[in-house]
Amino acid sequence: MGLMRLLTAGLVSALMMAVLLQDASAASQWDEPAAALAGQIADILGPGQVRFTLRNASSIGNDDVPVIRRLLEQDLKSHGITVAGSESANAIRITLSENVRERLWVAEVVEGTETQVTMVHLDLAGAQSAQQASGMVLRSQQLFSTREPILSVLVAPGALIVLEPEQFVIYDHSGKTWREQRRVLIGQKRPLPRDPRGIIIPNNDLISFQAWLAGTECTGNDTAQDAGSWSIHCQESDDPWPIAAGADGNTPARISAFYNGARDYFTGVLAPNAGVDLPAFYTSAVIPRPAGGGAILVNGIDGKMQLLDTASSRAQPVAGTRDWGSDFAALNSGCGAGTQVIASGSGEAATDSLRAYEIPALEAVPASPPLAVNGAVTAMWPAPDNKSVFAVVRNTAAHAYEVDRVTAVCN
Amino acid sequence: MLRPFAISCLATLLALPLCARTRPHYGGTLHVEIEGDPWQRPDGLPRRLVFDGLTAIDANGALRPALAVEWDSDSTAHRWQFQLRPAVHFHDGSPLTAQAVIASLNAACSANCPWTAIRAIGSSYVVFTSDSPMPNLPTLLAGGDYLIVLTATPDGGTPSSAVGTGPFQLTGFQNGVLMLAANQNSWQGRPFLDAVEIRVHRAIHDQWLDLGVGRADVVEVPAEMLRQAQQQRLQVISSPHTELVALQLIETGPLQDPALRASISLALDRASLYNVIFQKQGELTASALPQNLSGYSFLFSSDRDLNKAHEIRGGLAAPPLKLSVEGDGAMQLAAQRIALNLREAGFNVQVVTGATQPTDLTLRAIPFESADPAAELERLSRLGGHTQPVSAPTPQGLFKSERDFLSLHTLVPLLDLPRAYAIGARVRDFELLPGGAPDLPDASLEGAP
Repeated sequence: MGLMRLLTAGLVSALMMAVLLQDASAASQWDEPAAALAGQIADILGPGQVRFTLRNASSIGNDDVPVIRRLLEQDLKSHGITVAGSESANAIRITLSENVRERLWVAEVVEGTETQVTMVHLDLAGAQSAQQASGMVLRSQQLFSTREPILSVLVAPGALIVLEPEQFVIYDHSGKTWREQRRVLIGQKRPLPRDPRGIIIPNNDLISFQAWLAGTECTGNDTAQDAGSWSIHCQESDDPWPIAAGADGNTPARISAFYNGARDYFTGVLAPNAGVDLPAFYTSAVIPRPAGGGAILVNGIDGKMQLLDTASSRAQPVAGTRDWGSDFAALNSGCGAGTQVIASGSGEAATDSLRAYEIPALEAVPASPPLAVNGAVTAMWPAPDNKSVFAVVRNTAAHAYEVDRVTAVCN
Repeated sequence: MLRPFAISCLATLLALPLCARTRPHYGGTLHVEIEGDPWQRPDGLPRRLVFDGLTAIDANGALRPALAVEWDSDSTAHRWQFQLRPAVHFHDGSPLTAQAVIASLNAACSANCPWTAIRAIGSSYVVFTSDSPMPNLPTLLAGGDYLIVLTATPDGGTPSSAVGTGPFQLTGFQNGVLMLAANQNSWQGRPFLDAVEIRVHRAIHDQWLDLGVGRADVVEVPAEMLRQAQQQRLQVISSPHTELVALQLIETGPLQDPALRASISLALDRASLYNVIFQKQGELTASALPQNLSGYSFLFSSDRDLNKAHEIRGGLAAPPLKLSVEGDGAMQLAAQRIALNLREAGFNVQVVTGATQPTDLTLRAIPFESADPAAELERLSRLGGHTQPVSAPTPQGLFKSERDFLSLHTLVPLLDLPRAYAIGARVRDFELLPGGAPDLPDASLEGAP
């Protein structure tokens, strides 16, 4: 009985402490605007008694409204304005409001027949996304951000090479940030599609690369191993693009596919010939199979996912991909089966997400909770060592394109 | 008893698409139907498909480069310099030059322009100057009134059709259908659709019938018919409140006395327009800027006060007034209702159709084109012939500018309305721009070739 009472008392104390802490945290958030608004009201009204009403027409939670009311009343009191009943001739009507950019606290100060308006504005608090922790967990770290669309990036020794629709931009590392060194125009002769795509594949020496865009192929090398000394040359080309760097990541351009630049998809014709007719597809990834060997996962332009077993040259449909978006890449995480496919969301939700899947047979099985990203995923590819995946995210709120490095943590 | 239900669930599950979402497909022709004039300024549907502005507003309402890649001003915003995007061509192949931009803007804006003069520096820079500061010029230039149109061919002739630099080019007009083809060389990248066909002057009910039988992919849903569209299970895409229905009053002639204009403003019964004519869609308002742009629209009272209207008018006599209306259907009914309201306040108002001259009162729907409240307020005030720029770095300053503008009673806000379209099953990535116009260059068709 005594133990029970002790536990109950402890629980009540803990709950009270939690409420107080929550209250204190809410109060500190609203301290400044409440004090500013009370000061502005005092400048108009001067000391005296007022009728006071507070209306919440904003996204501020109802739990916070009493806290804000208390703060405002305290701050008004410190200026000699006390809240009275309906007998007072003066009144303060405060509306907690907001627009698309900011919160707005509006005070209508009524003195007899005259009404004056004053207001304070404060930033809209950004929504925090919580990450569920269960099983394998994806983590992302922003590598780079720019206002221009990004097709692909290459992290080279001492340099970051960013492929944009019409140019390469080369950055060097300056402290904690990337600093632009120079731009190299690609000079395409053909018009770009609406959603241009491109890839950069590093060569084994890591100081040279090949890149492909619609109708164009580029090579780059850096003999001096300095961001300023990269030499990049582009030419018109309809050569197939390497679609899979291989599961071990050591053999670039192992399988290539012909790309239709005017329609933004791969025709389904592979080089070397895989001995099977693939449908036209948008995206592909190479994944190892449990029985050994590899398979190519392709997203057909009809949205159907197919797995081409390179050993048997058989293409079979894959189920469980209804929630997938148009971008995915293989990740050699070492968790679970070892390799997962990281897929973007289907675009049904307001914001995009990334999620790991395993494909033990012919069905994609979720292997991680979704990882929310700051916008829509527009491109994804595996890092050269296949231990992380790069994703380009169009962050519409920040008007920026971000490159995120996505890794997995095994639980 | 549970068995049919289980079978039904199984059937539903089997019917669910098992496909992943793909990138948008290229190809196909999108069939759109509209009721009004396609080229109506500022936001006639093909205008944003055929023409581009120097600047543009993105899906979030933010300003972004378009035909101009960079711009900057002097410290007082009296002079702005815009650098044109290189290697852009009009649909007829002639290059985009500073001279072509100036000719287009001069043709679009002969009076009450945000600028006093425009000149070219070389062929790549356009300079705007003004006696007054132009703090909102880059945003104003994104508006539908200032889209760049080719006014002269390279040999000095007049273009035979509407020629711009936009993602689609006009290819013909036959049997009430405007035909547009994808601009393969669009500087924004080729659009996904091969073509857009816009059937014009099509009644709303006919549009909905065409959508039902697959003859149309995108049709209009007027605000007052939104509920009906939902009842008919149309797939409706609607914008937030992006259109201001307002009564515009001219300051000259019979309404030059501000007291008469104030009296008219107080006599209007917004609630009846909202409840009866617009079927409780949108919001009634007395503020020029919608709540989502300003955050303080509730400060302007939208209540009708007939007694005060009589009181303000006093013994002032007003001659018969003419009220014209832009739009069909509900707007015509709203004009009739407004005339009735004003008769109750002692004004003799006649609703006129097809007015060629400006009338004393005009009922119009004005789209909001950006999320910049100062620029939108300046645009509204320019519609009323006021040239004072709106510079409002704080909400308090913006409120004061709006209150001062509305106290002139040259524009009386009535309702904020949403804009909506219904789309067919094969249309994807269909979104509305901040002004409520469809963003067709980014739309595509499922199963396109």
